[in-house]
Amino acid sequence: MVTPIDIIKKKRAQAVNRIISKGYLSTKRVYVGMATCEIAAGSKEVMAEFRQAIANGLTDVYLSQKGCAGRCNLEPTVEVVEEGKIPVKYGKVTSERAREIIERHLKKGEVITEWLI
Amino acid sequence: MTDKITIHINNKEYQVDLGQTIMQAADKLGFHIPRLCYHPKLSIEGACRVCIVEVEGARNYVASCAFPVSDGMKIHTNTQLLRKARRDIIELILDNHPLDCHTCERDGNCELQRLAASMGIRHRHFEGEKKHYEKDLSSDAVIRDPDKCILCGRCVRMCSEIQQVHNLTQAHRGFNTVVMPAYNMPMGDSVCTACGQCINVCPTAAFLEKNYTQELFEKLNDPDLIKVAQFAPSVRAAIGEAFGLEPGRNMEGELVAALRKLGFDYVFDTQFAADLTIMEEGSEFLERFQNGGTLPMITSCSSAWMKCMEQFYPDLIDNISTCKSPMSMQSAITKSHFANKIDVDPKKILSVAVMCCTAKKYEAARPELEVDGMRSTDIVVTTREAAWMIKSAGIDLLGIEPEEPDHPLGVSSGAGAIFGTTGGVMEAAIRTAYELYTGETLVDIEVAAIRGLKGIKEGKINIDGKEIRVAVAHGLGNACKLLDEVRRDPDKYHFIEIMGCPGGCVGGGGQPYAQVNTIPLDDEALKKRAEALYDLDRAKTIRRSHDNPDVQKLYKEFLHSPLSKVSHKYLHTHYKKKTPVGIVPKTQL
Amino acid sequence: MVDLRKGEQHVNDQKYKLTLCDGPTCIHNRSREIRESIESEIEKQGLSGQVSIHLSGCLGMCKKGPILIVNPGYVMYGQVQPEDIPAIIKSHLVEGNPVAGKVIQEDHLYNRFFRIFGDVDFFGKQMRITLRNCGIIDPENIDDYLSVRGYEALAKVLTEMKPTDVVAEVKKSGLRGRGGAGFPTGLKWEFTANQKSDEKYVICNADEGDPGAFMDRSAIEGDPHTVLEGMVIAGYAIGSRKGIIYIRAEYPLAIARLEKAIAAAREHGLLGDNILDSDFSFDIEIRLGAGAFVCGEETALIRSIEGARGMPRPRPPYPSVSGLFGKPTLINNVETWANIPVIVLDGGDWFNAIGTETSKGTKVFALAGKVRNTGLVEVPMGTTLRKIVYDIGGGIPNDKPFKAIQTGGPSGGCLPAEYLDTQIDYESLAKAGSIMGSGGMIVIDEDSCMVSLARFFIEFTQDESCGKCTPCREGTKRMLEILTRITKGNGKEGDIEKLQRLGRMIQKSSLCGLGQSAPNPILSTIKNFREEYEEHIREKKCRAGQCAALLSYVVNDKCVGCGACKRVCPVNAVEGTRKEKHRILEDVCIRCGQCYDACKFDAITKA
Repeated sequence: MVTPIDIIKKKRAQAVNRIISKGYLSTKRVYVGMATCEIAAGSKEVMAEFRQAIANGLTDVYLSQKGCAGRCNLEPTVEVVEEGKIPVKYGKVTSERAREIIERHLKKGEVITEWLI
Repeated sequence: MTDKITIHINNKEYQVDLGQTIMQAADKLGFHIPRLCYHPKLSIEGACRVCIVEVEGARNYVASCAFPVSDGMKIHTNTQLLRKARRDIIELILDNHPLDCHTCERDGNCELQRLAASMGIRHRHFEGEKKHYEKDLSSDAVIRDPDKCILCGRCVRMCSEIQQVHNLTQAHRGFNTVVMPAYNMPMGDSVCTACGQCINVCPTAAFLEKNYTQELFEKLNDPDLIKVAQFAPSVRAAIGEAFGLEPGRNMEGELVAALRKLGFDYVFDTQFAADLTIMEEGSEFLERFQNGGTLPMITSCSSAWMKCMEQFYPDLIDNISTCKSPMSMQSAITKSHFANKIDVDPKKILSVAVMCCTAKKYEAARPELEVDGMRSTDIVVTTREAAWMIKSAGIDLLGIEPEEPDHPLGVSSGAGAIFGTTGGVMEAAIRTAYELYTGETLVDIEVAAIRGLKGIKEGKINIDGKEIRVAVAHGLGNACKLLDEVRRDPDKYHFIEIMGCPGGCVGGGGQPYAQVNTIPLDDEALKKRAEALYDLDRAKTIRRSHDNPDVQKLYKEFLHSPLSKVSHKYLHTHYKKKTPVGIVPKTQL
Repeated sequence: MVDLRKGEQHVNDQKYKLTLCDGPTCIHNRSREIRESIESEIEKQGLSGQVSIHLSGCLGMCKKGPILIVNPGYVMYGQVQPEDIPAIIKSHLVEGNPVAGKVIQEDHLYNRFFRIFGDVDFFGKQMRITLRNCGIIDPENIDDYLSVRGYEALAKVLTEMKPTDVVAEVKKSGLRGRGGAGFPTGLKWEFTANQKSDEKYVICNADEGDPGAFMDRSAIEGDPHTVLEGMVIAGYAIGSRKGIIYIRAEYPLAIARLEKAIAAAREHGLLGDNILDSDFSFDIEIRLGAGAFVCGEETALIRSIEGARGMPRPRPPYPSVSGLFGKPTLINNVETWANIPVIVLDGGDWFNAIGTETSKGTKVFALAGKVRNTGLVEVPMGTTLRKIVYDIGGGIPNDKPFKAIQTGGPSGGCLPAEYLDTQIDYESLAKAGSIMGSGGMIVIDEDSCMVSLARFFIEFTQDESCGKCTPCREGTKRMLEILTRITKGNGKEGDIEKLQRLGRMIQKSSLCGLGQSAPNPILSTIKNFREEYEEHIREKKCRAGQCAALLSYVVNDKCVGCGACKRVCPVNAVEGTRKEKHRILEDVCIRCGQCYDACKFDAITKA
């Protein structure tokens, strides 16, 4: 008999597959905080920058939103996770900073240490 | 429940029944815990916090009106700290109250005043800003004065729970809280049915009837006017209470004498028109019953009920008897046939009604009830206003020699008397309809099934082998319940009596305020008032409306027969659907 | 890292932070020895000065202990022994390769959070259970939630547990209501489950109304499915088919995410008929509140859902007996619900091991006020206030002295410095004179006037009083009036006693929790800062310089007579000739402070 646990395990496997098919295994994953507080601090514009960059041909990047992590005074936050590297988190990201993160970090692999949390 | 438990009140042990509140248990044991928002007929509000008591083990004081007793509970009702807290609570209410007791209509009859006295508040510690709202004088019947309101919520609960009119609610928050109709609509435009029950339960003067006593005194002094009074059945059964008598003393003769002393030229009895109503209504019912008219037929005596029906049950307009209320019939006859008889211009007649009712003030102003282009009832005063006028004019109601009402509109049958209590109209109608239909006299004329204070009463009468199913409801909430049933099953009843106030007219919104240490609308008081009317009925030799010689004479001289053309002109009316501004009628919900 | 932390002292030169669990079990398992080993190894491998070592409280993973966390990058090593240290230091810190065999995989739901957060000062001392997915997953994608064991707890109860087992597990966890009063959640579930009724309701109270509090909003916006899952589990446990989330209309994003989550859950058969092909059915709908603070009180909330004016009613009967539409109703707040899936998956015993004797698990606080790191923090019960303010919050900006901390939202108390070592749990906070409340936490420094602060809070509560009961409606108004006159310099002898008398009466006599707790800020500031009240009343002086009416501006000898103050003064209260010392006319001055701001020579003193 198929139990609810069996069903949920199957669902989880399917979910993971869907996430992967969306490019989760890209070498760089970018997460933009998108809760009310982050949006108020300007994260929508930041998100738009990353979307735009991907539309303009930036490859091998998996972009996703997420909720608030509770660091109110440093919002908006953007996190970059690179395969095999230590994940980093940028605070007080503006559109300009986002463009620079795209140029320097995502394209050239340089971690902009002065903006890290 | 018969489970006995042990509780301690003020360190004494008592056995009490489980399943009651601390207040109920304490009441039975002779501890009267002060209270304000509590009313036994309404839901528990727990708002005023005057009835707080200390329960050992509880973090805070509990409201004794709401908190159930439990085994081993140790209650203190009178500790010094508790007394101080209660005192401060009352002071806080006083601090936001006009304190114009000497000029207030409820002076001497105010629950807040009594409570303040019992708390011994001699100094005020927390005085500050007072709220201020405009008085709402828009209604012909009920005045709302938010400055006097202490937000006990009794009126709100009365209006929604017992009357199911849902006109009143608390609005705004905190210190700015105020009781008002939805959207702050003026009472006159709102769904208020003018029943006046808010006045009955208000502990202060936040709701009052619109007072016409000054206008009436003025007109009574006008030598050009013929001053004609009528008084409703239940007024005589209650007015004594305003003079300190026990409920249920019939003051008919004293009242007649007092009204004459006030300056009325003629004092008639609305019970006469009650008999007239039965002639018309009974005939109307038989007409409908025999000829396939709209049934069930529903009575139309109660003005609050009329407004309620026009607002919330307009689909049942065809079911409503077209008969005017006894007051309006009496006034119509006064300004037509009677004026003719005494040969005066009806415009010279001042037609005054002393009513147990506030809604009659509203009814008197309805344009549908005009007679030959005139208002038929010029002024309506409530039992309370009449009592005040009698006192104010220095008339000793209790010591006065009783007198008889005037002819030709003063003689009444016992059937007319019982109009004043729930079930009375139906009982009176049955007495007459039976005889009109069968030609035989009904021997057992007291219909027990439709007497008493049960919310909805049902009965079956066998008339000549045909079963007539009747129902009686009093209080608009019960009326709504019954009418919802009619909507579901239109064939369930043939004839329905509805009275807008709990208990019928004896519990009207214009009756004397509850006496010291009694509860407004106490069932015992209502029963005693009703009993006075049943006694009156039993004492009469004429107990059927059609046997009233003056009524018979009126038909002979003026109306010809029930439902005649003349009758229709003077004694019948019509209704129309009402949609108060901003309110969606229940039927469209 | 300097730029972002301008003005903050926590600039760390160390490259690595090692956090060692210092809980009793880990100590028993030689964590102290490990520490010594680490210290010697660092020196040996030439990393001195580059590594800082921190100790954390129990991380709730005792079976895997001792635990060592290496940051940045958050790598968690389990069952570390002193012998493992040289390899870890060498491989991870020197060569940058974590020692794979010792890394703990995601056993517990909550610890994933640290895995991607390098911010050890802020997060390292927290313990995230309810916020475990917030800031980790995409809240608008159910796949993200499913991938982190989402709805597994639901599947588990439907597969393996009877409703009574679920109630027992929640009882075992020791979880208490996070809405403020701290009633044992398991008991509430049991009461509701024991009621016989054809209909029962499950309600999520998301009517978060404390000024400055946003725990519930963040939790829903960051992880809406957790709340849904908790509610469905409760529905199964108590025998209900219907859940309602009551959330204020001012939270549009949270509402949108909830709606999306509900739709996705229905699509996946996680809500609706026959959940996960079982014979259990449950659905959830959202009801919006209009933002009345009092609607966070459960009986008022229920009235509001029923369509009536949101006013509390006396209890008993409690909602578990007679709640929504008179039916047995289980009502918990967002944070409470978010704990449920974790308790089901990791077990009541595990949860019960976290926290103090009487308060289990963690609590989320909205840390605000005069503190470097503001934000949401989730800490185990039993954490001290000092740890939150100084370790997580990073202390007070400009190193000003700590004056007080106000916990529990607008009806909490203000605790002075001597209470900084108070442990956070329901009883300890109450004993100290404050409350847990829903988790507001405001740090106050010497620039704040305690009388004004008390006035601010009572102004809020009296404004939000529903107006039903006399003590709250009239009493808070009078307290506000008295406080207002004190801050305006019109305070009278006896005012403090009046405030206390009113306050105690309101606490003891009010109908609901709003009124009962409204006087807390006043009574606690009178208790702890009475001298400030007395100064205001007797000396007409506000030491924090916050009460404008009590201030006077005086020109001191630094004045060079530049005339800047004279030019900005809107009421011509400054007189003086150029290049000579000016003077402020006290009876003309309206205390607007513009001269003070305009003076470049510090020549105006507030007194």
